[in-house]
Amino acid sequence: MRRLTVAAVLLVASVCAGLASMQDGRRVIDVRAERFSFSPSEIVLEAGEEVELRITSDDTAHGFHIRGTGTNITIPKRGQGAVTALVRLDKPGRYTFECSRMCGAGHNFMRGELVVRGQPAGAAAP
Amino acid sequence: MFAAGLAGNAAAQGVDPAEAADAGASPYPQTGPLSGYMDFHFNGVQGQDAVLDFHRFVLLFSHSFSERIRFIGELELEHAFVEGLEAAGEIELEQAYVDFLLTRAFNIRAGMLLVPMGIINERHEPPVYNGVERPFVDTVVVPSTWFDVGAGVHGEIRRGLRYRGYVMAPLDALEFTADEGIRGGRQKGSEANVRHPAFAGRVEYVGLPRLTIGASAWSGRSSFAAPRLETTVRIGEMDVRYQRRRLELRGQFAQVAITDAARLNDALERLVGVSPNIARTLRGFYGEAAYRVWDAGSPRDLVAFLRYENFDTQFRMPDGYVPLKEFDRNAWVMGLTYYPDPDVAVKFDYIVQRNRSDLIDAPDSINAGLGWWF
Repeated sequence: MRRLTVAAVLLVASVCAGLASMQDGRRVIDVRAERFSFSPSEIVLEAGEEVELRITSDDTAHGFHIRGTGTNITIPKRGQGAVTALVRLDKPGRYTFECSRMCGAGHNFMRGELVVRGQPAGAAAP
Repeated sequence: MFAAGLAGNAAAQGVDPAEAADAGASPYPQTGPLSGYMDFHFNGVQGQDAVLDFHRFVLLFSHSFSERIRFIGELELEHAFVEGLEAAGEIELEQAYVDFLLTRAFNIRAGMLLVPMGIINERHEPPVYNGVERPFVDTVVVPSTWFDVGAGVHGEIRRGLRYRGYVMAPLDALEFTADEGIRGGRQKGSEANVRHPAFAGRVEYVGLPRLTIGASAWSGRSSFAAPRLETTVRIGEMDVRYQRRRLELRGQFAQVAITDAARLNDALERLVGVSPNIARTLRGFYGEAAYRVWDAGSPRDLVAFLRYENFDTQFRMPDGYVPLKEFDRNAWVMGLTYYPDPDVAVKFDYIVQRNRSDLIDAPDSINAGLGWWF
């Protein structure tokens, strides 16, 4: 198993009953889940950048799982607030995220990608 | 307020994306919890006795062999009761497939598949559509729930641009009717004849928030039971869904073309003694506006909707055949959907249905239903 050079996915999940706080200097990206898609389905971030994903559902409860990490949280049902995930990925690459909670006939279509660009965090400047 | 806490070790340490599937202590194989949906209805049709019908009892099963190989199955009991050869309920295997999830852009699926067509066929859990019954267009033009055996590919090519392409069992043209079009021709994966396989495809764009645009096509030679015929069925379909604040709009158009319909009618007339009067073109479309009149979150969640449908299973007839005007129909469907929970829908609607016949009336109906997902 090859590890990310400097890898961390720091996840803090909270259901805030529709309340999301903005963290200083951190991008906040609203992600909407519904049967059977995430919008946006592609999220671009820089290596080492910490972003806040504020995820809501427009129907039933969904899951949000980032493959290759331990991130696997439940998105509450419509009208029951948001779940907020702080994500930082230090190694460039493509990370699949997907619904991890059976949500209906098209459950397996419900996927997206975190696209991490740039130099790995901690790499020496040229 | 709730805090789930930090992610586990696997998240904190991370792995290379390419090796992600094999990382750490694998939770696979993993069998998912049982889930499903149900709905039962009251249908009061003008001039007929009212009925109560437990329409659907559906259980979904899932199993992940690994992160990339997954099974989903959907077993449905319709109308609560199955009795031998009587025209009663049905047990249907609506889905049972294995997905090989390879990349975002390319994945393979095989088994019993839902035909990727229209708004309803792949997305039909009771809380996601308004109206006690599914739209007429999604019943007699797009014959949902439409499923059959096959294999194919699916994926997302660019941000929000998704596709599905399957090779599937074709329809059986000898089961087509004037009233319900191609619906009776579904082989449903039961020793399905695949001498001439059919092709189904869909592209959809979900790249803009709250907007879904889709187009589907299906083509298959459908006269395997009467080899001298050259009956091919082609279906084209377009649909859109859009949400803005409390308003949701959706629309769909579908058209079915049946080649060699005249000879198909002749053959069936020789077989059963009566011409089924099958058309060479079926067409239907609908538009729906829904407004969330109470939007304070369940249980204070109420949607009012109005839908217009126009559907004609005798839209164009083969030469020498006259369309039956009672099958040129339109309907206004108006009603309410109340959500005591986001996964529970209490539905009421009233349907004003009309046709172009001077002899046969299309009955109005009042309907109520309770549907849920778990």
